[in-house]
Amino acid sequence: MAESLSVRNIVKHYGGVVALSDGNLDVQAREVVALIGANGSGKSTMSKVINGVAVLDGGQLLLDGNPVHFPSPQTAKNAGIATVFQELSLIPQMTVAENIWLTREPLNALGQVDRKTVNARTEELLALFKGTFKTDLHSDVPVAALPPDEKQIIEILKAISFDPWLVILDEATASLDSRQVQRLFDLVTQWKEQGKAIIFVSHRMEEIFRIADKYSVLRNGRTVGAGNIKDINEKQLVKLMIEKESVLGFLRGEARSDENVEKEIALEAENLTTEYLQGVSFKAHKGELLGIGGLRGQGQRQLLHSLFGDLPYSGTVKLFGQEVHFKNPREAMRKGFALVPGDRAKEGLLYIRSILDNLLLPSWRRYGLPLKVDKAKKNAAQTGSSLNLKMAGLEEPVSSLSGGNAQKVVIGKWLMREPQVLLLDDPTKGVDVGTKAEFYALLNRLSEEGKTILFYSSADEELIGLCDRVLVLHDARIRIELAGKTLTRGNLIAASLGASNGGPE
Amino acid sequence: MKLSGWDALAARQPALFALVMLGLSLVINLILQPNMFARETLNSNMRVFLPIILLAVGQAIVILGGGIDISVGAIASNVNTVLATRIGLEGSPEAIWGFVFLSLGIGLLAGAINGFFIAYLRLQPIITTYATSFLYAGLALFILPNPGGGIPASMAALYRNSTPFNLPLAFFVILIILLIWLYLSSTRYGKFLYAVGGKAEAAYETAVPVTRVQFSTYVISGLMAAFSGIALTMLSGSGNADIGGPMTLNSITAVVIGGNALSGGVGGVTGPVMGAITLGIIQNIISFADIDTWWETFVKAAIIVMALAAPGIVNLFRRRRT
Repeated sequence: MAESLSVRNIVKHYGGVVALSDGNLDVQAREVVALIGANGSGKSTMSKVINGVAVLDGGQLLLDGNPVHFPSPQTAKNAGIATVFQELSLIPQMTVAENIWLTREPLNALGQVDRKTVNARTEELLALFKGTFKTDLHSDVPVAALPPDEKQIIEILKAISFDPWLVILDEATASLDSRQVQRLFDLVTQWKEQGKAIIFVSHRMEEIFRIADKYSVLRNGRTVGAGNIKDINEKQLVKLMIEKESVLGFLRGEARSDENVEKEIALEAENLTTEYLQGVSFKAHKGELLGIGGLRGQGQRQLLHSLFGDLPYSGTVKLFGQEVHFKNPREAMRKGFALVPGDRAKEGLLYIRSILDNLLLPSWRRYGLPLKVDKAKKNAAQTGSSLNLKMAGLEEPVSSLSGGNAQKVVIGKWLMREPQVLLLDDPTKGVDVGTKAEFYALLNRLSEEGKTILFYSSADEELIGLCDRVLVLHDARIRIELAGKTLTRGNLIAASLGASNGGPE
Repeated sequence: MKLSGWDALAARQPALFALVMLGLSLVINLILQPNMFARETLNSNMRVFLPIILLAVGQAIVILGGGIDISVGAIASNVNTVLATRIGLEGSPEAIWGFVFLSLGIGLLAGAINGFFIAYLRLQPIITTYATSFLYAGLALFILPNPGGGIPASMAALYRNSTPFNLPLAFFVILIILLIWLYLSSTRYGKFLYAVGGKAEAAYETAVPVTRVQFSTYVISGLMAAFSGIALTMLSGSGNADIGGPMTLNSITAVVIGGNALSGGVGGVTGPVMGAITLGIIQNIISFADIDTWWETFVKAAIIVMALAAPGIVNLFRRRRT
């Protein structure tokens, strides 16, 4: 068994996006290192580099001090590195036993999989979590039939089934209940005694302090701090994760928060529940820019999409006091809703079609039959110039535009319909700084015009700079509503992590 | 998600649907053709079914691995034209053996070409094999522009009239195939096949050699297509560059009837073998019942459309209910 793994100055790009620019990590046998960082800080990339799923672009991996290279998951596995993947690496159609032993099936003399041994060993592994299963979990049940927490446990068992020396737990506790988490932590303690090392990636502060011996903090792809967990507290950790105040070229209107109280309520949701969301309630005023915060994937997308009629939900949604329940986005559009989705290439735009086609897509109906093409073009050109869209011409494909300009097309296509409620899913992601500033001005203008805006952003400074009120989502619920004095970066990050007390003021 | 009773049954016994279809069509056929289980009739049926059974087995492996092979019929045509032109009516036993082995090599090579493009260059399976099917079919036309050529009568008779233990030769071929499958599916390779077809990305993260497994499925399919071409040649005794083309759709239909998911990772080979026999029987029924032959195409197409639509329809009803 190996004794230590060191990650030195790791660099990893995905296309033009730098996921890791200077990642460092040291892990020794018999210890648990918590890998901590905000959204997009590079935690998942770091684990993928260590387990060979992503090939690094620069830097070094040292196993017991010797440089190693993991070009494939197989090589990392041979070196005794196991991963519990956040997205799970299970084959739904295959059984629990088949999944756990895939590529390491015990064979008989004829080269056949020895099912008896496989099942017996699987039952042994399942016994580790005995009593925490909701269903009658056996080795020959197909994984597709299991609830999320049991799938997660199978993923964990799969990782430890080949007795690795290093286990990477990437958000392994996210779908487990408290009993299962406790059992996992008991096991982690045992593994430590057996000489294993554990890298623990989690969003939950409480768990980090419960199980970790050391910490390593990533910020924007750089390792910015590491040390013993007992030398640090929650507040200090949060501080490390926060960037120094970046200078943003925007300021919101002064003292708007008091006016909002008297304004009428435009959008109201009560106990909104989907397959994922667990009862979300909020009120948004007319002309309010309501922020939605929290780590990525805590239900923000589901919230915005269900309001837009794109996901089925239960609960009540009221628009100016009148109950609405959209079954599809078209109904939502007719009531003046607009959605700027998080994945603009996939959901927001027809990438190979022209800018004109994209801008007019939701509005063709208004140009009659036969189409008044000239009028439509004129309106599209107006929208384009009002958004300061930089393009070679309206007939150019959207794929020719930069990220920021492509996002302007997404927003522009909705503005042409004069929407009343705008739902924005991280609209400034992958947008250049100059365009961001334009967006901020646009958002302010729109809210002054009386449009209600729900604004999810993965950049906390945007929420603080632009919004008066921010709802922080955590584990598919609203963790807290921050407004006025409580709306600080520290509180925002602490709430995102589900921390018990507030962060630094 | 909880599997409903039906889903659980379908997951455990994917070939059940094929068995029901086979039984049903057998009964109808038996009514129309009471002597169908007589030795001669059974043999004359089975020898016609065998080429499509062989194609379906190869297709089943590819589909299990998450791909599809549109070129199997063209490969079979290719082999057919090579054998019919090279061996000739007066061919010696040495020539026969030599060209039969050459045919198998052609099948392996054609499958390897498909596999290279799809597994290593990561091209779309359906587009790639559609394109290469023209390559293989075109080559067959080049070798034998007009139907003709031939093989020695003894070689044809060996295939047509052999009935060891009073059973059709095809039964023994099927038995061998099923035994090989039974073994293969219990090996590590079998597990890899299901894993790659089920969720290739997860399989990769689990260190399954995804590319090599994908490649291998097309090679197997090419080899099975070559066997099918050999059987076709011995059945017809002559060559025809268009003989295999229409069989491609049949091979896919057989796999679908056999209970394999077109998306991969579910099913086996036993189901598709039954599916191929069912298809042959449907053909019989149509000819005996004196129905216009276009019904045959209609029935096959309807089966595929139904199989493709079934999961969607089930989901639609589920959504309605909630």
